[in-house]
Parts: sequence; C-alpha cells; structure tokens
Amino acid sequence: MIKNFFKLISIEFQLMLKGSVFSFVLYCLLIISCAIFSLSLKYESIGINAPLCFLYVMIFFISLFKVEKIYSLNFDEAKVHQYILSPFSLEIIVFVKNMMIYLNMIIFFFIFSPLILIILNIDLSYLLKINILLALSLLSIIFISSMTASITISKNNRLSLTSILTLPLFVPILIFSMAITDLIDFNTGRMYLFFVAYFLLNLAFSPLLTSFALKKLSV
Amino acid sequence: MIEVNNLSFARGNTLIYKNVNFKIRPGELLLIQGANGVGKTTLLSNIANFIDPLEGSITYNNLVIDNNIASESFLYIGENNFAHDSLTLNQNIEYWLSIHNVKFNNSIKNKSVNYFFQKLNLDKKFYQLSFGQKKKLQLLLLMLVNKPVWILDDPLSGLDDRTIINLNTLFEKKLENKGIIILTSHQNITLNNYKTLKLI
Repeated sequence: MIKNFFKLISIEFQLMLKGSVFSFVLYCLLIISCAIFSLSLKYESIGINAPLCFLYVMIFFISLFKVEKIYSLNFDEAKVHQYILSPFSLEIIVFVKNMMIYLNMIIFFFIFSPLILIILNIDLSYLLKINILLALSLLSIIFISSMTASITISKNNRLSLTSILTLPLFVPILIFSMAITDLIDFNTGRMYLFFVAYFLLNLAFSPLLTSFALKKLSV
Repeated sequence: MIEVNNLSFARGNTLIYKNVNFKIRPGELLLIQGANGVGKTTLLSNIANFIDPLEGSITYNNLVIDNNIASESFLYIGENNFAHDSLTLNQNIEYWLSIHNVKFNNSIKNKSVNYFFQKLNLDKKFYQLSFGQKKKLQLLLLMLVNKPVWILDDPLSGLDDRTIINLNTLFEKKLENKGIIILTSHQNITLNNYKTLKLI
C-alpha cells in the first residue's frame, strides 16, 4: 500500500507539472495587474503595506482560481466514484492534491517574486521574508480554497452558493499578514507561528469537509 | 450475496423508484433494463453506496454496505470516463491501479491491453483516443483490479463487435469464479444464463 501511495504521489506530481501552464498564465496576469497598480500610483509616496496588500489579494484570487480549476478537472463525478471505492480514503487524496497545488503555486511564486517586488517598488531586502510569509500563509489559503471549490463544483446551483460561507476563513490570514508587515522588518517569529497554527487547524478539518462535500454534492 | 429489500429512492420531491427487491448470488449476473430516466444508474449508485436510499436496505453477505465493504468488494465502471486527459495511457493505468492499491505487474498489464486493444501505443495521450478506445481503457480495470463484485453502467455502449465478444467472455470467466456482476444495458448480452430486472 505504501509503494502504491508513493506511486500515486509521483503521478500526482506529474499531473501538477502538466497543470503548470495555467499557473504560468495566472502569474503573468498577476505581473500585469501589479504593473497597472504601480503605474497608477507612480506619483504617490506609498510604503510597503499597500503593494503587499495588493499582492496578497491577487495571490488569494489566483489560488482560488487554480484550486477551482484543478478541482473541477480532477473531481468530476466519474473520478470521485473511483476515489470513493479506493482503499485510500478520499481525505488522503484531497490532501495529496492540495499539497501538489501548493507546491505548484509556491514554486512559481519563488520564481516570479523578484520581478513582482521590483514592479511593486518593494525593496529586494524583503524578498526572503515575503517569500516565507507567503509560503506559510499559502498553505492555509489552498486548504480553505479546496473547501470552497468542492462546494462550488456541486451539481446543485443553490448549494454551490453556500461556498460563500468559507470565505470568512480567509480573513485571519489577510489580517495577520498585514499585521506582520506593519512591524519593522517583519522580525516577529511568534506571529509567523500563527500561520503554522492556522494551517494545522485547517489540516484537521479541511480534508474532512472537502471530501464530505465531494461525496455528498458531486455524486 | 447481494440482497436488496424494498429499496426506494427520491430526488427532491420526485420518486425515482419504489420497492425494488432482488437477490444476486455468487456466480450470477443481473441485467437491469428500462427506459431512459427510470433510475438504472441511480440504482447502481445506491448499490455502490455513493448515495443513500430513501427507504429499504442493501446488504452484501448479510452486512449493510458501508464505505469499507464497498471499497473492498466493489468495482464500479460508470458511463463517464474517469481517466486524466493530460496523462498518457500508461500513466493513467498506473495511476488508477495505485488508486485501487493493485500491485503493478507489467506482463499482466500488457496481456490485458492486448486482450482489449490488440495493438496500441501506450504513450499516447488519453485525449487522443476515440470514444470506444476510451471506454476500453476503463474496462481494462476489470482485468487488472481483483474485486468480487462488478457494477457496470452501460458497459457495451460504443464498443465494436469484437470487444463485445471479448467482454462477454470476461463476464463468463468472472461468473465461473463465483463473482457477481450487476450491469445496465440497452443491448442484450450473449450469455446463456442471467437474471433481468426491469425498472418501470
């Protein structure tokens, strides 16, 4: 079973690589929107907070799009039937998928981040800290997005509206991320722990809720 | 043995079927027939434990079917394709075998591929296949995943004559080995002995 699990991970990784074109397109759109944002504020004196806030909101939307796309492709009814009858629980499959989406998103962010910071006129000395901040918070964003996506792909349109209920779960991430950037040089190790704690909390209930929604709503 | 007692199912306020009863013993095949929309696929979904019935019970070897029993004993092949478009056939086979926790054996895989496809390049992407070939790839699981109960939703549609003959031979072997097959089809199957259930 363990051998098959690793085989499953390796093929999921290949699937993730094949889905990279969509991520690349999304990051290109992010760069364009960052450029528009910077150009519109070129005569204003702005600190690090406004561009970072903009970056965060855009990353949040990109992640949501990415997860929605992967879930609508990989969790259609026929596939969910096979996953339900698999010896691996659907929760494990959801976890593996989410981790692959996370890897895909964060690797692209690491590649694009220097360019994004230059466009947003953020000092490159913040590069590592912003990458760490985003790497930690993106985990929770992906896991919450998976809940949203699993409800959105429901066959029942009225039920898919309930995905709005998951959106407040994103708020703590955005608030804490902005709070960290308020503190000089982000030297707040304890506040980074919030993201780890929040991710662990999400890890506990997100795969359960996601797989429940997939079983009950998309079958 | 699979036993269905007084099974009813409703979608919203619409009753799809009511008081369905049947028993299938090892070595038996049940062909579910009926017009479009009478609930053949829904009945299969009920049996496979994908959806809960409104009333009634379904048991397998006298145990009420739950997720564990379903994943240990049932192999379900639905109407829609489950393969990943962006993967090659080889990768798809490996992926779904690992999902069903089957030990990968190259020679068995090649034999099964030859049985259904005769000659096929396994490095082709899934989306490059025709409808019939895609269907055959799904049916490959029947040969590669060893589970006692097959639940098949219209397995004969889109297949050529030769593949239908091969599939019937596969059904015969399964029944000889005391397996259970439940299937829906608008076509008659060529086996000598099978039960039918007509949904109205």
